[in-house]
Amino acid sequence: MGLLNWLESSSLGVWVHESPSVWAQPTILTLHTMGMAVLVGACWVLDLRLLGISRNIPLSAFRWVFRAVAIALVVNLVTGLLLFTARASTWGTALPFLVKMVLVVASAATVLPIRQYVLRGVDGQEAGGNARLLAIASIFAWSGAITAGRLLAYLVP
Amino acid sequence: MPSITEAVNLAHLHLLLNHIPTVGAVVALGLLLLAFVRRSEPLKHAGLEVLFLIALLTLPVYMTGAAAYQTLRKVPTVSDTAIRIHQDVALYGFTAIELAGFVGWVALWQSRRRGRAAPGLVPATTVLLIVSLAIMARAANLGGEIRHPEILSGAAGPAIDPSEFVATSISSVMVNSQWVWPAAETVHFLGLCLSFGVLLAINLRILGVMKQVAFSDLHRLLPWGMLGFGANLITGMLFFVGQPGQYLSSAPFYWKVIFLMIAGANFLYLTVFGKAWKADGGVKFDANLADKAMAVTSLFAWVAVLYAGRMLPFLGKSF
Repeated sequence: MGLLNWLESSSLGVWVHESPSVWAQPTILTLHTMGMAVLVGACWVLDLRLLGISRNIPLSAFRWVFRAVAIALVVNLVTGLLLFTARASTWGTALPFLVKMVLVVASAATVLPIRQYVLRGVDGQEAGGNARLLAIASIFAWSGAITAGRLLAYLVP
Repeated sequence: MPSITEAVNLAHLHLLLNHIPTVGAVVALGLLLLAFVRRSEPLKHAGLEVLFLIALLTLPVYMTGAAAYQTLRKVPTVSDTAIRIHQDVALYGFTAIELAGFVGWVALWQSRRRGRAAPGLVPATTVLLIVSLAIMARAANLGGEIRHPEILSGAAGPAIDPSEFVATSISSVMVNSQWVWPAAETVHFLGLCLSFGVLLAINLRILGVMKQVAFSDLHRLLPWGMLGFGANLITGMLFFVGQPGQYLSSAPFYWKVIFLMIAGANFLYLTVFGKAWKADGGVKFDANLADKAMAVTSLFAWVAVLYAGRMLPFLGKSF
């Protein structure tokens, strides 16, 4: 609790929370949303391919997805941390926020085995059952993370 | 520099734009009917393409109409009931033309993939187009009566309880329900990710990433982009009909709709994208400079839509 309070009352936390500047919370939140669009959008396109949509595309063509995911993940980690500092004492103990964190970690965790599968895969070889399960898990986990994040604004005002 | 909300008179813009849906629908219908008579595929495509653009442009027509209402409700000689009736019929017309545009888009998408649309799809589009034209013509007529008493068909009817109007009912649900707005926001964000992901992949391909992939294979993803687009059109309209005032006074909202039109036109271009459709399906197809410029414009437009949308509560006052 002490740490959370310290974070929130740090000059950075106060700036994000209270600065009237458009570069404070508005821009950070917008970057967080754009990072989300790239991150989840790129993951979902690959998930669709693993589930058999446009199966003519060789899996190896999707290498760009992992670069996009890596960049977007960094952007959202940084912007997410900044947004968290502004509300640390409230969010740090709020169930919807903790649920969101669990779902984000779970979603990101599906990227690693999917990446291994894609990089190792032989072209023309169709995605097996495990890859499909991973794709479904990825779709649902990201959906859950977005839902929890979006509802955070209403459940923990 | 004056703000866009001051520089643009939306009520006036409504008078300019409001002819587009009816006149455009007549043009699209004429092209489709002529295509049936002449059994011409290119004419059919032209009709469907015009229909898609009309469906797109009907969005600002409806929205500027809501702005005109806000201006006119202050004028004592104008009947509030007459405007509300016009608005409700316009909302029905909007819904019908969006549906026609969607079915027509599916026909276009299929034509690109298999040479022709599934049987019955284009006739179904035509029927939907006729229905929406009829509703929109009625809306246009009712709209004209608001300010042109010389064409009034009869004495103004009795005032109707506002809660009986569809737009008002939707608004009261959106505002009073505790969970509908947050649920719609959630769907709006999920739809955004789906649309953005699909368009990111296709535009990256045009820009030269994953060149070994045939464009026709990526074309297969477009319906998923359309799914996200459709979910966001529905939820977005729920927000707008729910609280029109907060958007009509918001500069980022103006920009959002402008960039949405650009992004939508690009979506049509990607659907019918001509040069990539060679015999080999476009494997190793290298897009020319114009197409690459188009891809950059598209990605920029989507980022701008995201930016303006997320900035609504900060640069404007809407939530």
